[in-house]
Amino acid sequence: MIELQGLTKTYGDKTVVSDISLRVERGEFSVLIGPSGCGKSTTLRMINRLIPLTQGRILLGDEDVTRLPAEQLRRRIGYAIQSIGLFPHWTVADNIAVVPNLLKWPRARIASRVDELLDLFHLDAGEFRDKYPHQLSGGQAQRVGVARALAADPEVLLMDEPFGAVDPLTREVLQNEMRRVHEQTGTTVIFVTHDMDEALKLASRIALLDAGRLVQYDRPIELLTAPAESFVSDFIGKADLGLKLLSRRWVHQYQQAATMSSEAPHHWETDAQGHPTCLHGGRPTTDVAPSVAVTDDWTATPGMTMKEALSRMVWYRVGVLPVIDDAGRLVGEVTLEGVMGRQP
Amino acid sequence: MMSALLRPERRRDALLPLLTVLLVALVLFMGRLEPLFHAAFPQLETAVYARESFWRLTLDHLVLVLVSSLISVSVGVAAGLFVTRRTGREFEPLVSALAAIGQTFPPAAVLAIVVPLAGFGFVPTIVALTLYGLLPVVQNTITGLRTVPADTLEAARGTGMSARQILWRVELPLAMRVIIAGVRVSVIINIGTATIGSTVGAQSLGTPIIAGLVGDNIAYVIQGAVLVGLLAIVSDLAFERLERRYRIGGEASA
Repeated sequence: MIELQGLTKTYGDKTVVSDISLRVERGEFSVLIGPSGCGKSTTLRMINRLIPLTQGRILLGDEDVTRLPAEQLRRRIGYAIQSIGLFPHWTVADNIAVVPNLLKWPRARIASRVDELLDLFHLDAGEFRDKYPHQLSGGQAQRVGVARALAADPEVLLMDEPFGAVDPLTREVLQNEMRRVHEQTGTTVIFVTHDMDEALKLASRIALLDAGRLVQYDRPIELLTAPAESFVSDFIGKADLGLKLLSRRWVHQYQQAATMSSEAPHHWETDAQGHPTCLHGGRPTTDVAPSVAVTDDWTATPGMTMKEALSRMVWYRVGVLPVIDDAGRLVGEVTLEGVMGRQP
Repeated sequence: MMSALLRPERRRDALLPLLTVLLVALVLFMGRLEPLFHAAFPQLETAVYARESFWRLTLDHLVLVLVSSLISVSVGVAAGLFVTRRTGREFEPLVSALAAIGQTFPPAAVLAIVVPLAGFGFVPTIVALTLYGLLPVVQNTITGLRTVPADTLEAARGTGMSARQILWRVELPLAMRVIIAGVRVSVIINIGTATIGSTVGAQSLGTPIIAGLVGDNIAYVIQGAVLVGLLAIVSDLAFERLERRYRIGGEASA
């Protein structure tokens, strides 16, 4: 648990962060978001005191860390930034091991922790341990950057637009990975971004800031459905509110049993292993073939957002998607009617 | 492709031991070349400088260069470090200007000023060489530390390193190559410049050169100059190797 109490930063008579109080529960993924210059990065950097605070208190657990020496505090708080800032003269392993080394962990424990983290990010330890930062792709370097921030099992992980500088495809992959890593490690995260879709995808709580002021701190769904003031809905953007809602809905919430009876308006055909092979019916218009072979592209998985599932339905012109498990077996279906039938 | 890139380096690698052997041989056995110099300059009474042995002269020369470089490097690096810290930031223009003045002041002029104060010989020569060698060290130290990327420093602070740890573990290793390049320039300049110490009575490889110029003995001048030149080339090659060691982890070795 980390709690900010009345965090304030002024430069001369200019107030950039004004009396921000919020509490991030253990294991929560909290996103600070807002237009540029709203003070979100400043707030984040005050937490590990890269920027000294003008006023306020910070509690880590039950401990007031406002007066703790900055270096000691930082070793308890992970920090990942957009530009990554890997140490170019050190190997991947040395980079990850920075904080454990500062904390004087025994060598063997450091080595096994490095391998464990590389493994967590699906980087082959044998291949990557001894590489230098300039030998990594942008996505790999960012993974190492996050691994470094997580190395000493920090009480909080601060991330400052960590995926802002990578290409959209890699960003998507990294976001998915971040969700998985967060679920696996249960680390408390405070994440800064200006991208609402990223916030909706990752956050369990969103703090919306404007001009140094905390406008609303809530679960994403409340931000969408119960904005505290007009600035909130303006910032989220009303145009695709429906799709944004669906980006916080998961396939497993809409999933129903797969229709196998040939009497029904649509039904599935599966092979001996239970993989869906063909859909009969289920097409919303008559200008397309009544039966269609199932390909990997238009299946859904339980962990997929409904936004993506809906997008696939539209693209492949089907009213129903097969939901498959990790082995590719048919475990259910999601339908267009199902999406329409359920609202928050 | 790698081998093609490596080749010039390999050639220079072979040059270093070769020239070192040549240098040592000339220092020890210059006397044996007397017939050669006699044949070239038959009008000269003595064709090889013999008032002092060449190894003695070389040793004195090296001591001049080493002592002055040691002072230049310690003062220069310390000044460069100071002005790149938060407390010394305002002094950077001053320090850079002072170092530049040291460089633009001709060593001969420094000698002219220092000799009346400190007498003849070793001391004024050291003062002149130290001042002269200061600029490249100061400048490269500042440049080297300035080129450490800001995000690397931010990350270093974010991990909880102290200022001292950041300096020793991050800034200096990353700046080392540029700093050594500055030391290299400074030392090479001083190997050449140390010869003028002989005009104020400091013994060096400049001694036979001055004697040759005064006594109209071209062979003396050649002997001193060749040794100084070789010494400079050998040191330069040695520094090049040292610099290469500080190439940042696994960088392409071209």
